[in-house]
Amino acid sequence: MNILPTLKCMTVAAAILASTSVLAFAKDITISVWSGGTGPNDTYRLDAIEIAAQQLEREAAIRGEDLKIKVEKTPYSDWESFKQALTLAAEAKKAPNIVATGHEDIGPWSQAGLIVPIEDYVDLDSWPLNDIYENLMEIASFNGVVYGIPQDAESRPMFFWKPHMKAIGYSDADLDALPQKVQDGAYSMANVLEDAKKMQDKGLVQPGYGFYPRTSNGPDYWQFYTSFGGTMEEDGKLVFDKAAMTRAYQFFADAVKDGVTKKNHIGMPGDQWWKEVATGKAGIWHGGTWHYARLVNQEGLTDFFGNVVFSLMPAGEGGKANTLTHPLVYLLTAGHEKEDMAIAAQLIKIASEPRINVLHAVKSAHLGISKAESEIDLYSSDRWAREATERLLPYANAMPNNADFGTYWTIMWKGLEASWTGAKTVEASIGDVETELKSTLGDKIIIR
Amino acid sequence: MNTSRMLGLVMIAPAAIMILLFFLMPVVLTGVFSMTNMTTATGISGGAYQIAPHSLNDLKSTMPDIAEQMAQPRYAIDEAGMKAVEGLGLDAGIATELRAKHIGDVFQTRREAERMIKGLDQRPSTPDVKKISEQFNRSVVNSRFSSKEELFSALDTLGFKLTDAQKDSVADVTYTGWNWTTENFSRIASSPDMARVLFNTLLYVALVLVLFNTAYAMLLMIWTHYMPSAPATIFRSIWLLPRITPVVIYVLMWKWLAWDTGFISVLMGKFGYPPKNYMLDNAYNAWVFVVLINGFIGASMGMLVFSSALKAIPKSQFFASEVDGASRWQQIRYIILPQMRWPILFVTCYQTLSLLASFNEILLSTRGGPGKATEVWSLAAYHTALNNYAGNLEYGLGAAMALVLVVIGIVLSLGYLRIFNYGTLVSRPLIED
Repeated sequence: MNILPTLKCMTVAAAILASTSVLAFAKDITISVWSGGTGPNDTYRLDAIEIAAQQLEREAAIRGEDLKIKVEKTPYSDWESFKQALTLAAEAKKAPNIVATGHEDIGPWSQAGLIVPIEDYVDLDSWPLNDIYENLMEIASFNGVVYGIPQDAESRPMFFWKPHMKAIGYSDADLDALPQKVQDGAYSMANVLEDAKKMQDKGLVQPGYGFYPRTSNGPDYWQFYTSFGGTMEEDGKLVFDKAAMTRAYQFFADAVKDGVTKKNHIGMPGDQWWKEVATGKAGIWHGGTWHYARLVNQEGLTDFFGNVVFSLMPAGEGGKANTLTHPLVYLLTAGHEKEDMAIAAQLIKIASEPRINVLHAVKSAHLGISKAESEIDLYSSDRWAREATERLLPYANAMPNNADFGTYWTIMWKGLEASWTGAKTVEASIGDVETELKSTLGDKIIIR
Repeated sequence: MNTSRMLGLVMIAPAAIMILLFFLMPVVLTGVFSMTNMTTATGISGGAYQIAPHSLNDLKSTMPDIAEQMAQPRYAIDEAGMKAVEGLGLDAGIATELRAKHIGDVFQTRREAERMIKGLDQRPSTPDVKKISEQFNRSVVNSRFSSKEELFSALDTLGFKLTDAQKDSVADVTYTGWNWTTENFSRIASSPDMARVLFNTLLYVALVLVLFNTAYAMLLMIWTHYMPSAPATIFRSIWLLPRITPVVIYVLMWKWLAWDTGFISVLMGKFGYPPKNYMLDNAYNAWVFVVLINGFIGASMGMLVFSSALKAIPKSQFFASEVDGASRWQQIRYIILPQMRWPILFVTCYQTLSLLASFNEILLSTRGGPGKATEVWSLAAYHTALNNYAGNLEYGLGAAMALVLVVIGIVLSLGYLRIFNYGTLVSRPLIED
């Protein structure tokens, strides 16, 4: 970070140069777009903007304008380097015009003035924005202002390996009814551990493979807190529910104690994890709707529905079945010419057309963002998209857009990791989390 | 004389500028950053004044009436706004119709106001709708002002009459940028996690330094000294491999060795042990790997320095000792070690500082895990300042942590100089007096 001022001087100079060249050829516009967490299945996050640019050029031609839009696409396959690059570039006033990122960035980035509200540029009452699911639009807002347009939606289900479930006594009919049982709260987190144990005792999976969670920090872990009755935010204030968090931490500590989850599970190589869940080496695991695409396309699990059942995250003590949606949003970054911003906003709007967005939704196995999208053949004839939308999306929560949520998250994860690996007892972890939350967030968080 | 002095300055100028820019500036900036609460959210280049809902919440306790008034989002179609709309240079019919049908109307939200504007007979384009609605905005909620003066004058035009004290507190709660603070250091001092990370760091530096960078390097030096020269060269070259292999590949090879499907698992599988990730299985294993990975790289440097220092010891001393019937051990104890003080000081000092600051091998191998067991200070500073999943990077706290590291480094170096009696090492040899 220390080289920033130097970097800034250089990039400000570059930005000034760049902006003057845009002014000189007003109708020849370059729109740069970056996206995080974008693997081979997610390229439509960027391509959609390119398709939109072609459409906008045609519209301009009909109005008699000669508009040429060059779209520069930069995908980042991970989040870490993407967020570093974006925040530092934005500080140096060298941010791309459009960025596709997790909605939770809206809080800190808007406070820092890195992004501008998209509602300044588009008519939210017009098609296709007026058809986007209301809860997704809310997730793209902060302080009552709409900052971004949802780029996709997803949900994070619990997955069960069917053959193993059958081997421990579930019939086909039981498995078909399982998602409903989970939704009704009749199948709980305790049952997950029970069944995982049974699978191991029968030798279907190796020790530590019964319940096989995500291997790194991620929004997924907030679902467990929700399952055990926790709330992330209330009336704009963060909430740390000690009892609920204790139960969530305890769940993982118990999983390790029972031997159904490995103590050293966090930090294991991701590729290995994918291989294992795709081949039935794991019994029960959780992930996101987009896992379907990777399992089927990259990991060779062609008969997904024959092998896997998916459901909401089961309820734990004191909570209810839930799932979390972590939509990506298109955001406009600050520091560009007004004219460029307006064009970028138009591109985002056009890219949100059901016909264009559906390409991303189906290819990457994310969920659609609008009602009309779910009626497009490509989407409605896709079993995964249809079932996941119906089964999960109505019960989806989201993480709050709050500038301090990241701090809370880091501390919460640290505590979970410590109780999981046995570095601290659950009580000690909770105590340390509370102390640290108090000292870092003070009265910005309600502790109860 | 003067010219040559000038010339000297000119000659050294490029280097001096480089040192200033790339060595001194970062340290100074780290110091500056560490005294702030800078994060992604506050920005680096300074903040603005934004009357966000949460700042109004803060104001409610001190000036409830004003906060309540400010919280009202309003779009009022009034005469001032009409004048402004007329000045926009849009079709005159728009203003006329607005005035005729809607003067005096008040809308709670921007969206409602814009719906009305879109409903005009002469429906303006979306950008024009935005321009028009802005003229009627009589609310300060979420407005962003780049300076205090702008904020106050906006509040003034909207009819908020504030005293100076009130102005100050409004400016305080609406400021989005960073502030000067020493809180980072009190957080570091009071956090049990920081104490744990500090302990990890000292453990890491001590283990690698003592076991490999000095002791093992010394063994390598002695072994190769008493070997015939050809095998000695080959042996030294092998020990250089970890250092010359690109670190990513070097660490990847360790991971291949250690993970569930790796060599150790396969080998142990033959004896009936289930496969597991040996590196991350528990904190103890992780430490063994971290120390080995760094130690194998670090040993070669000491080996080279010590070996060359050994070459500088006059051969005659060894010959004379052999004549006197000295054993190998006596040669090491009375000839080699006493003349190694300088190189040992150098290696110890240099490696302490580089170990304190290095975290790349740990980041690549264990990422500080399992459960922060191998999180060292520099890695923790990196994680704090440059890696937060939710996008809010804590530059200020990270810089404070980096600064603590610099201080520890300086203190340790001074300590070493004392232990090795630096004064006598650099004093003039008595014989030349």
